Amino acid sequence: MSMKTTVLAGFHYMRQCAHYAIAPRNSYLHTSAFLAKAEDRKEMLASLPAKDEGTIGEKSVDIDTLITRKEKFFPDASTATQLFNGIPFNELPICNIRVSPNNTIISVTDYKGVPRLIRSCGIEGFKNTRKGTNIAAQATAVSISAKAVELGWKTVRVKVRGLGPGRMSAIKGLQVGGLNIVSITDNTPVSWNPPRPRKQRSL
Amino acid sequence: MRHAQFLARTVFVHNNNVEEACRLLNRILGKEEIFDQFRRTRFYEKPFQVRRRVNFEKCKAIYNEDMNRKIQFVLRKNRVEPFPGCS
Repeated sequence: MSMKTTVLAGFHYMRQCAHYAIAPRNSYLHTSAFLAKAEDRKEMLASLPAKDEGTIGEKSVDIDTLITRKEKFFPDASTATQLFNGIPFNELPICNIRVSPNNTIISVTDYKGVPRLIRSCGIEGFKNTRKGTNIAAQATAVSISAKAVELGWKTVRVKVRGLGPGRMSAIKGLQVGGLNIVSITDNTPVSWNPPRPRKQRSL
Repeated sequence: MRHAQFLARTVFVHNNNVEEACRLLNRILGKEEIFDQFRRTRFYEKPFQVRRRVNFEKCKAIYNEDMNRKIQFVLRKNRVEPFPGCS
């Protein structure tokens, strides 16, 4: 953009000078001004750092090392009765993490899904835009995991839903807080024939 | 998309290595275009935008196919053991 505008501005200036010499001053119509604005915004958006959505590794093209690994990474039919810390997998308490761009809500439920604890970045004392940061999510996760450990729930399975800066850091925070995470499940609601979503934001 | 809870889209954590498990899960969901679809359906995509996107994807697929063929052609080997000392 910058190159173009300087050239255009120079051109206008030269024309103006020429006019002064021969005729009284006219008013000039600049039609390229709004174009410059749009291009400015594009440039600005391109220069911004990529938004953190907690999806580290989404774009990575790793050579699949899973084949050579001996550990089991994916559940199968026998997983439900497999013991973790003396508890079968399907009776482990569940930690639900609801992530959105503006907030992170973490709740701990027993294996039936009855909620026992719930914390969000807002409850934790982060307000407004600070709610939607990875630091807020981590702090919330640490505090809720301390409460869960008090209840005697040390081993949990994690269910994540949605995309946002808190997605990765909340899981990390749970571990920092002293919980033993057995598995991570993605529970993001995705539909290929959804009802009509809201209209696009005008940027 | 309904699926069996804790059977689909689930990854185990080994040696408390949460980040590795997360990355694996994200990579799979990214490759399966589940995240893409999620992002696309946050806001309504107008028909002209759908057409533009689909056309762009078509062109990209054609380009990638041709480019892969070219790369395979350049990298082709005509010997009994294609990469000696690498097996």
